[in-house]
Amino acid sequence: MNLRALSAVSIMLVAITAAPSALAQSDCTRTVPASPFGKDDQTGATNRVTPAVTKAAAAEIQTGKVTTMTHPLVDGIPLFGTRFTKTILTSNTMAPGASLGENNLTYMEDTWLSQSHVGTHLDGIGHIGRGDCYYNQTPMGKYINQNNMTRLGLEHLKSFATRGVIIDLVKVYQDAGKLHSNPACKNPCLDKGTVITPQDLQAGLKAYNVTLREGDAVFFNTGWGDLFAQYPAQNVLYNSGEPGIGNDAAKWLIDQKVILVGADTWAVEVVPGESKDLAFTVHQLLLTDNGIHIIENVKTDLIAAEAAATKRSTFFLNMSVPKAVGLTGNFVGIEAIQ
Amino acid sequence: MAGRSVPAWSQSSRRWRIGFANITEDPAERLEGLGFTGAEVRASFVYAARGLPVEIVFFDNDRNREKALTNAAEAVRQKLDLYVQYCADETANNEIGRQLEAAGIPVIAINHAVHGAVIYTADNKFAGHIAGDALAKFAADNWAGQRMAAVIIGDLANKSVHADQRADGIATALKEGLPRVEQTRLDSLGNPGKAEGLLRRFASEQTETKLLIAALDDATALSAKAAVEAASRSTDSVIVSQGCDRLMHGGFNDKKEIDPQNRGSIVLGSVAYFLDRYGYDVLPLALQLLNDGMLPPRTTTQHVLVTASNVFRIYPPIDMN
Repeated sequence: MNLRALSAVSIMLVAITAAPSALAQSDCTRTVPASPFGKDDQTGATNRVTPAVTKAAAAEIQTGKVTTMTHPLVDGIPLFGTRFTKTILTSNTMAPGASLGENNLTYMEDTWLSQSHVGTHLDGIGHIGRGDCYYNQTPMGKYINQNNMTRLGLEHLKSFATRGVIIDLVKVYQDAGKLHSNPACKNPCLDKGTVITPQDLQAGLKAYNVTLREGDAVFFNTGWGDLFAQYPAQNVLYNSGEPGIGNDAAKWLIDQKVILVGADTWAVEVVPGESKDLAFTVHQLLLTDNGIHIIENVKTDLIAAEAAATKRSTFFLNMSVPKAVGLTGNFVGIEAIQ
Repeated sequence: MAGRSVPAWSQSSRRWRIGFANITEDPAERLEGLGFTGAEVRASFVYAARGLPVEIVFFDNDRNREKALTNAAEAVRQKLDLYVQYCADETANNEIGRQLEAAGIPVIAINHAVHGAVIYTADNKFAGHIAGDALAKFAADNWAGQRMAAVIIGDLANKSVHADQRADGIATALKEGLPRVEQTRLDSLGNPGKAEGLLRRFASEQTETKLLIAALDDATALSAKAAVEAASRSTDSVIVSQGCDRLMHGGFNDKKEIDPQNRGSIVLGSVAYFLDRYGYDVLPLALQLLNDGMLPPRTTTQHVLVTASNVFRIYPPIDMN
């Protein structure tokens, strides 16, 4: 071993010796509450979807009408930060002479290179933390490798077969005479920065005579998704902020013991937030502190219109999430069945 | 929260009507010699008003004396509870101050004095001092004993935006920290292109010398960076800027100079002027004035140096752009 190598080893030893302080894990019992579902829970709020909850939700299926709540995942839609989603088509058997057998079988497959939090997508409970502490006081620094998380991954989620509720905030704001729509929205929308309050949510529920119950999945129609649908023309505006729930509304929903909160916006919560010094506090309240999932970029306009037409704002939620081990979230397909 | 006093206005059920007369809402206009727009100032009032017992009545002074006077007259006609005046026209401000005083409407001036009014203002000299301090500290930590030159570059003669005070603050701090380092002032007349040319020439003349560059605004700082890169002097130059507009901190998707992913930048930081947060500072002052009847005569922006280490705390990139 030459001198240079020796000195490199010395530097490494110094670094390793110093590492405990640099990598010290926070005491997560001080910063994140314990889960109500037990100390080993990695599932979060879908624990509330019991057979009884699913059976009761099934009563929502009356006409069998299915309404999509999913945006197509395609080039050009607004994406957060450096996120990307790309597909590559493999169609080798289409080449002359490459088909199989006398029956001329051909096939195609895809390679999908994509980050998981794109398009209409679910935030798993490993998505957001407070420092290095995540849901159920999980010291996440101990549970990550270069490929995935080894705790709190999507594989731990239970069923989403529950009752969905759409709350039409556009209608609430119109009825209250306080809607200030953004001129870029082709249909009425709440403008960015609008703080949705518990009173707004309650007014939206009252409009269709709905009371939330434990295990519900709650969606908001703010109208802001109108800008998503105009991609790419309005991506910059869509991304620049959004209407959404504030901390008080989030706390009220937590008290109702819902399992997820979704909206036609990219963060569900109001942006800019209520405090200029804090970032995405509703995400921390819902995911980190309570294991309640967030679904972003939901297409809510059709189900809001259906609710207005039928006077029914509840539905059976048809959505499943891939058992993707160690993932923090994934794009989902959502249908409302009534 | 324990130990924190509750402001009187938070106990009041009254909803106040406050006028805010913006200096201009022309999106092409930049304010105070920095990179901010009137739209950003206005938005800060819109967002800060959420959750406060206020209704904001917006006016656009449009850098126009007659408009400013008309706006103030309208505020009197509407019997607003308080008026926030952001206008650089001294004579208009004096006249407006008298009119509103006669009408019994308290006034808070922003950056430019209004007769009889308390003022919320940038502390330009102190902000300059922060930048000079940062350069001096960097030099002491990294280039001690080496030959150095300091440059202050920007719209030096523009007293209307107090650029002279910023430059003086920088110069004072550099003198305190690096008494032997010669200082040079390069007046770009507010033209970043001219700044680049001036600095490129200066850098080519100052061979074997470390360059400490204090820019008076962010656009000039980026021009200065381009100049030293073109002169192959990136390795022996550092820059500290004034303003910290979106060119520096940006949104999540923005290409931004100050970013934890860009810690190697020769732009060490930019002193924040927070024009995009004026509403968050001024509206609580307005409520205090309305409820308590008094305020200190002068309240200043809490300037801080924004660097790659603290930018995400001070300016969390909460928007996707």
